[in-house]
Amino acid sequence: MQKGAKMWFWIFVGPILFAFTVVLVIPTLMGIAYSFTSWNGIASKIEYVGFENYIKVFKDIEFFTTFWFTAKFAVVSIISINLVGFLLALLVTSGLKGSNFLRGAFFIPNLIGGLVLGFIWQFIFTKGFDAIGAKLGIEFLRGWLSTEATGFWGLVILMTWQMAGYMMVIYISGIQNIPDSVLEAAAIDGATNWQVLKDITIPLVAPAFTVGIFLTLSNSFKLYDQNLSLTGGGPGNSTQMVAMNIYNTAFKFNTFGLAQSKAVIFLVVLAAVALTQMYFSKKREVEM
Amino acid sequence: MNMKLSKTIRGLVTTTLAASMVLSMAGCAGKTDGGDTTAPAATEKTEEAKEETAETKTSEPVTVDIFQFKVEIAEELQKAIDLYTSKNPNVTINLTTVGGGDDYGAALKAKFQSGQEPTIYNVGGPQDVKDWMEKLEDLGDQPWVGTAGGTLGAVTVDGKPYGMPLAVEGYGVVYNKAIFEAAGVDPSTVKDIASMDAAFAAIDAKIKSGELKEKFPLLEAVAELPAKETWVTGLHSSNIFINKEFPTGVDAFNAKEIKFENNADFKAYLDLMVKYSPNAASPQKLNAVDYATQVGQGLAIERVAAIQQGNWVFGDVNNVDPAVAENLAFLPVGGDSIPLGVPMYWAVNKGKADAEKQAAKDFLNWLYTSDEGKDIVVNKFFFIPPFTGFDNYPAKDALGRDIMRYQAEGKTTSWVFMGYPTAWGMDILGVNIQKYLAGEMTWDKVISESQAKWAEARK
Repeated sequence: MQKGAKMWFWIFVGPILFAFTVVLVIPTLMGIAYSFTSWNGIASKIEYVGFENYIKVFKDIEFFTTFWFTAKFAVVSIISINLVGFLLALLVTSGLKGSNFLRGAFFIPNLIGGLVLGFIWQFIFTKGFDAIGAKLGIEFLRGWLSTEATGFWGLVILMTWQMAGYMMVIYISGIQNIPDSVLEAAAIDGATNWQVLKDITIPLVAPAFTVGIFLTLSNSFKLYDQNLSLTGGGPGNSTQMVAMNIYNTAFKFNTFGLAQSKAVIFLVVLAAVALTQMYFSKKREVEM
Repeated sequence: MNMKLSKTIRGLVTTTLAASMVLSMAGCAGKTDGGDTTAPAATEKTEEAKEETAETKTSEPVTVDIFQFKVEIAEELQKAIDLYTSKNPNVTINLTTVGGGDDYGAALKAKFQSGQEPTIYNVGGPQDVKDWMEKLEDLGDQPWVGTAGGTLGAVTVDGKPYGMPLAVEGYGVVYNKAIFEAAGVDPSTVKDIASMDAAFAAIDAKIKSGELKEKFPLLEAVAELPAKETWVTGLHSSNIFINKEFPTGVDAFNAKEIKFENNADFKAYLDLMVKYSPNAASPQKLNAVDYATQVGQGLAIERVAAIQQGNWVFGDVNNVDPAVAENLAFLPVGGDSIPLGVPMYWAVNKGKADAEKQAAKDFLNWLYTSDEGKDIVVNKFFFIPPFTGFDNYPAKDALGRDIMRYQAEGKTTSWVFMGYPTAWGMDILGVNIQKYLAGEMTWDKVISESQAKWAEARK
């Protein structure tokens, strides 16, 4: 009996573990090894340089600027994506007519690739906004993506539009798991809609918030394709995010080792942030 | 219901998810793909199969993968390939094009890293040749070498040429003759920045007074500066001034530092372009102006009268309005001449099997030395041929003809930006120019910072 269970364990876990090792663990370890070299990404000769790359990273002001920009973006987009996603979930579970259609409609942006979305929104921001602004004489709508602020908010709008539908699905499942008995009891006790939302829905959906915030956190930090196609990091590298900075360091400036050490630092920081978030979010989940 | 158990499972699931998400980031950084734009055209299996049959004759099936950067010719090159492969049925050629706004160099590195090495690819100049030396085939024995004139200098190491020039290209301020004529401005008066300023001011006055409104209803400004395209500002504009300090690309490549003594002229030129652009009042908006806005939605629809670009815009303008395209010519920049150079070279991957390399060389030879190929190069690609022996194939387009006029008059300067340190022109100088336009950086800081980065890269 015990033996059989062990075999089944490996039959189910084995393939995934193998894939996980090959595509994640091994590249990560190789990456850490490369971060101690001065490899340029092309040559077959690889030189060991110790911690020199890490020292360079800590002297690189631009890397910290991009880190700061990414962190700001992550905070704002985590709030906006989850807020919009949650509101959409409330909307489509409120018994509205055509809510099945709306669920589909809100989810669709998530099915479009990031690069395509970036170019579509680039057109909307630089051409659509501009045309409307010119017609109506609203100066605010003109020259979007040409400054850091408009580039930043452009990215936030794009990501919210894309990700909110996905978060909506997660929150719908959370909301639908709330037992009717609890809601009925609240109704009998004369709770207002706001009280139901604040004291029943939100606490009981907390596990979904844990997942939702985690997904948006890691996605926002690692954002690359939308960043590339919408602003390309410009103007003047002001909207460049960490992933793009690492990519450019590796493939444009031919300093692969330096880029790899940035990636390792990024990994450590992101892991720390994500695990902290998981710890605090899980503490707030209520047991039924 | 066992709530405790489901909680544990949930915890497990989220933790695993956490671990894989975080780790996948590091994995990505280690082996980043060139982005979705590089659709892998290579069929790896045929490549591997071929390695074994390397020594056999050319009638054996051979697959050649081309990874090239010139978006403008992608369609016509595919047609040329179809023509060639229909005559040489044993050869299969896969074409992948990455370029335009995308960074070809980065995509190429990603391509090599992914293991799908192309057979034919493009290199730009001394820095590329140094970087890619291990992957470059010596092309010294090829028949076109003797007809290449001085164009091989940038890719020659120890007397061996490692690249085949794609074409000769030139850039300057491309202007619409009809608009200049309607405004009564004689383009031949433009000889330096001051006279360009005077000519532009005359047109600008007529645009503002509405005199040109009837003939050119869309015309809104004289010039357009695509600061978003850092290759236009950081490579081409800067080259006009840096080639006074370094006469050739190799000189720039060997320079430990850049003095940039004439940077005031460079500033004057950029300021001039800003002053006559539609966004003169708020220059930071130029940072969102791209190539398409400048050319297809600018010069081609007669929204602006003059832009700094090269003969490669002819095709794009021609697609929009052939009448405008035929009316284009060059104003000289930074003096009475225009910079001419070889934008990129074809290179053959040394690491490939002999049969594949031979097929690649045969194809390139056919393209540039056969009559069919010459016709395609000149009349379909709109290239200005880099080799002699093209007497029967004069340039078909207005800009090509104008370049030949400058060539004949000897009023040409050199391209040296291929000798800039890796990524310096676009990602340091071009980006700093964006900051300058946004008012975040003074011009002196633009120069001093760019100088510092140059020295750092050449340490």
